[in-house]
Amino acid sequence: MVAGQKLSTALGLQPGLAVGERDPVLECKALESLACWAGRFTPTVSLAPPAGLLLEIGGCLRLFGGAAAIVDAVNAGCAEQAYSVAWAAAPTPLGARWLAQAGTRALHPTPAAMQTALAGLACSVPDWPPEAVARLAACGLQRLGDLAQVPAAGLRRRIGNGPVDDLLRARGELADPQLPFVFPERFACDLELPARVEHAEALAFAGQRLFAALAGWLQVRQQLVRACSLHLTHDDGSASVLPLRLAEASADEARLLRLLREHLGRLQLAAPVAALRLVADDTCARPGASIALFAQPSAGEGAAACLERLRARLGEDAVRTLAWQPDHRPECATRMAEPAADSAAFPPSTASDAGSRPFWLLDTPQPLAERAGGPHWHGPLQLLTRGERLESGWWDGGEAGAAGDVRRDYFVARNPQGQWAWIFRDAQGWFLHGLFA
Amino acid sequence: MNVAPSPVALAEVLARGDVWRGDTLASLPAAAIPSGHAELDAELPGGGWPRGNLVELLVDRGGLGEMSLLLPALARLSQAGGWLALVAPPWQPHAPAWAAAGVALERLVVVDAGRQAAWCVEQLLASGGFAGVLAWPAVDLDARALRRLQVAAESRPVFACLWRSTAAAHSPSPAPLRIALAAGGGGLSVGILKRRGRPAARPLFLSIPRPGRTNLVVAGPAFSPAAARSAALAALA
Repeated sequence: MVAGQKLSTALGLQPGLAVGERDPVLECKALESLACWAGRFTPTVSLAPPAGLLLEIGGCLRLFGGAAAIVDAVNAGCAEQAYSVAWAAAPTPLGARWLAQAGTRALHPTPAAMQTALAGLACSVPDWPPEAVARLAACGLQRLGDLAQVPAAGLRRRIGNGPVDDLLRARGELADPQLPFVFPERFACDLELPARVEHAEALAFAGQRLFAALAGWLQVRQQLVRACSLHLTHDDGSASVLPLRLAEASADEARLLRLLREHLGRLQLAAPVAALRLVADDTCARPGASIALFAQPSAGEGAAACLERLRARLGEDAVRTLAWQPDHRPECATRMAEPAADSAAFPPSTASDAGSRPFWLLDTPQPLAERAGGPHWHGPLQLLTRGERLESGWWDGGEAGAAGDVRRDYFVARNPQGQWAWIFRDAQGWFLHGLFA
Repeated sequence: MNVAPSPVALAEVLARGDVWRGDTLASLPAAAIPSGHAELDAELPGGGWPRGNLVELLVDRGGLGEMSLLLPALARLSQAGGWLALVAPPWQPHAPAWAAAGVALERLVVVDAGRQAAWCVEQLLASGGFAGVLAWPAVDLDARALRRLQVAAESRPVFACLWRSTAAAHSPSPAPLRIALAAGGGGLSVGILKRRGRPAARPLFLSIPRPGRTNLVVAGPAFSPAAARSAALAALA
């Protein structure tokens, strides 16, 4: 198949061909998303609609280690996102664009190299009016290099000011300021899926483009993301939201993708997904940090990232830190808290007078058999302390799940196996409540 | 002229952490964590709980004093700003007791791992962000899973401790340190089944602080009738 064929011919050649309507709005959105992504290379990105993107890389050569390294990274990134690229690098924006459109795929680092390359291009520049191109052809001027040989004033009269000015801009003889792409204040990016996706795992691949754009945007705005959400539009018109929350703010694309995969692994799709939208809900400024002078051994991802992954797989409630709560009833003294990366925000935990409190507490007190007047747990329990009376708690007596009013005498006891237990006696009899481990 | 290859000094070879004489204990390259029990430190290679090595504690019943054995080390790690993780503990940790023992509660993570305990432990060890990881896997881990955990812990300054039942004492394990705990002599009997160095001859009896007996908190060798008899004979002579 070639460009310019009729649809019926193409379908005849390839019966399974998927045909889509061209949508300029979606193309524009894709270009903007790609511009966000390109923010990782340079802060100065300009859109050249319909399908061009200008990256000013002159200021970033040293950071990336040369123009070739940047070009390789851009090409690799585009390939990852399944975009095919025609590219060129040149000292002037228009020169680079023309060379890219001509498919040179080459670096032209100096103005002289660019002039030589430009001189070899055909005069049929797509941006120029067709009559100007036709007139040049009629004059026998085939290459842009030929135009430099003819008098400029005469050329201006024949093909108009626009093309001649373009030529000067491309050669760098006329200033060519570009309108920089304004990275949005808040990040939100849409992606129309080419086919309906029925499996949640398959969304991870589609989400890659969105997260690539997010990472570029975070880089150029010097922000870190703390929470973002993936809005799924289903093909029946309904929508659902997948919130992604990070334990600590980050701009690491790989980490976000890992988190997304963990979440998608647990997601059940109600209906096939037609479109995705990624919104950065909570961002904060990125603190500056020096990088190490010498190579450091890899230290692993750190506690916060690990906890985040565990929480994504096991559920939010499965990973908790402890907190101490001032209550005399043992089952109320422990509270589960959210793990926080910056524990300095918490007041240091103060040790109570827990001289004889056990390390482990049973979920619910276990009733103990009573034989010969004493409690039994794997043998007769020997009481080692005097009773410690813990009582009252009327204030939450009626609430569901609360400990309520208690009246208990606690003892430290030991059984013949050498286990140290914390037992109590109340009106119902003996109970095992904890273990001194 | 024939140049002899430069001989590697024996001392250099012996300075490595993974090479040791059969009659002494290995020295560890990474600083060990003092256990808080002098007699135990003397028996452990490196003079304390090893970092970056899996430690197996074989114990059948809880409540013998096994946590009190570890707590001086855990408190030290926690006070130094390290994170501790308890994976699938058999009972609920009681916050006041842990706080009183010197553990910073806001850096003590409790993971309700269910059946994924091995995966959780591996992630926690490999993350490098945790100073201590204690795990009570519900199902006994096979040698392959243990090997994965040992690899994850290697070269990271983490105190990794795995609880297993004493039934596993006779099956081989990649953990460099294996300790069987039992109640004995009014304290805790610590039998070192495996360590880097000569095998331990007999279990160690540690007296550890117990509630209601605050007069016996000083760690020392447990009372042994044989030693007492010889002391008495010496006094008579």
